[in-house]
Amino acid sequence: MKRHAQTLLLVLTGAGLLHVALLTDLYLRYVKEGLHLVLIVSGVILLLLGLASAVLDRRPAHDEGHAHGHDHSRAPRVAWLLFLPALSLLLYVPPALGAYTAARTNGKAVTVRKGFDPLPATSPLPMTLTDFTTRVQQDHALAIRHRTVQMTGFVTPAAHGDGWYLTRIIFTCCAADSQTVKVRMYGGAAPPANTWLAVTGTWHPKGSLGTRTAEAALDVGGTRRIAPPVNAYTDDLPLTPS
Amino acid sequence: MLKTDELVDGVVATAAPPARRLPPRSVVIGAATAVALVAVVLTLTQTRWLSGPAFAAWRTVCLAITVQALPFLILGTVLSGAINAFVPADLFTRVLPRRAALAVPVAGAAGAVLPGCECASVPVANSLIRRGVTPAAAFAFLLSAPAINPVVLTATAVAFPGNPAMVAARLLASLATAAVMGWLWLWLGREEWLRPAVRHGGHHAGHSRWQEFRLGFQYDFLHAGGFLVLGAMAAATFNVAVPRAVLDTFSGSPWLSVLFLTGLAIVLAVCSEADAFVAASLTGFSPVARLAFLVVGPMVDLKLISLQAGTFGRAFAWRFSTATVVVAVAASALIGGVLL
Repeated sequence: MKRHAQTLLLVLTGAGLLHVALLTDLYLRYVKEGLHLVLIVSGVILLLLGLASAVLDRRPAHDEGHAHGHDHSRAPRVAWLLFLPALSLLLYVPPALGAYTAARTNGKAVTVRKGFDPLPATSPLPMTLTDFTTRVQQDHALAIRHRTVQMTGFVTPAAHGDGWYLTRIIFTCCAADSQTVKVRMYGGAAPPANTWLAVTGTWHPKGSLGTRTAEAALDVGGTRRIAPPVNAYTDDLPLTPS
Repeated sequence: MLKTDELVDGVVATAAPPARRLPPRSVVIGAATAVALVAVVLTLTQTRWLSGPAFAAWRTVCLAITVQALPFLILGTVLSGAINAFVPADLFTRVLPRRAALAVPVAGAAGAVLPGCECASVPVANSLIRRGVTPAAAFAFLLSAPAINPVVLTATAVAFPGNPAMVAARLLASLATAAVMGWLWLWLGREEWLRPAVRHGGHHAGHSRWQEFRLGFQYDFLHAGGFLVLGAMAAATFNVAVPRAVLDTFSGSPWLSVLFLTGLAIVLAVCSEADAFVAASLTGFSPVARLAFLVVGPMVDLKLISLQAGTFGRAFAWRFSTATVVVAVAASALIGGVLL
């Protein structure tokens, strides 16, 4: 790889990182929020390195390579592959993971919780999919029974075309370690896959509440389309009041 | 403009001297290549198969692995470049025990000081070898650093709440594997499997240290970055092609499940800071199988094999990775069997 291509590659990779981390929030589709600053710093380093290479290495580097018998002016051919993520970050950003991935994953195992606080009295009660699942399967006080809750997520059609799930994909580090939280929805026609919805409803009685046999499922009372959240890969309550 | 001699795999390949390559022409060629790449990418997006959800998920995972690893790769390359240009040549040989067999466990334990993912440790280990550290000790460092640093151990403790034995087992099994692999290299390893570290051997009198640092960094980054993308592509392919639902069919048999999760750790290439959470979600599997996942993952996976093949040579990468998997599984079974 020639000097000019190397310079171009460094500048493009740096610009790509800055594009998704500094100019937009697109990086949240791929990695956790904690890497924000690190990505910006990396982008700046690569950009500066590329610019330095463009300015400083214009002079014919006469004796430098020969003096110690090797050569820095050429990078190996495999470096061309770096153009793919660089251009992808700049021009052709892939979407966040969605229903395709969720349909191929088993639900994430919920952690065992010892005790539960009493539920707030508001109705409908905003809940995360994880909280709902934990309440349904572990709360011996059965506080969730007869409560109207509201959850947000995107639509994943069920495997055999019978019904749908409200899902969230969450990850710890990057999209490669994604895990899915699913709550089964009963009632209402299945909306198109990947539609983001706020769903209101009550627990769908199946299995015995408060034990592992209870299905995390909802009798749908009403649905409302919402804009996809900026950070889609968390199982959090929506920030805006809904 | 262009230097004419370059070392490929330690052999002087004398490129025919393009004595007068005009700069404008190479600029034109570079620009044309870039435009052609963009055109290819944009054409591909129009075809139906490539705009399908499977390919979109593949691109997302591939880009996610790359973006996630780039900062750590930069950290590793900066450290490696700094070691190369600024650290006196005899520092490491003075600090480490003189006897190689003793230096191995010390270097393995020293892995705890490099916080971050496995991508950072490959260039650092390479620069250690170039600074005269015995390869066996550098490899022990390479294997242990991503697995036993405080960030990763904390993440493991968070992912397995109320189960400190898993953290202890991970620490011990990873250290044991790193040390055994170092000793194994002393016993059986051959120098000729390693690509000779010819690129830059430390500071040269009369040259600007900063210039050396910058050029070394640029070379290492582009080199390792290319292999990182290659590894990310392979890992993303498995990540998307193997539905997680398949996993449960293997969880029944204790021995098969250990081997299966070992294979999964290799093909998924989950970053070592996150793999504990993935392991925690594999609830159907025995604790020993999950420990094997945690021990093998940071030491051997597709993107690491690719990075090692690029840095140390292919002959080394295959032998080393295979041996590491065997040792890591044995260590997990032994230590996991006692502790878990």
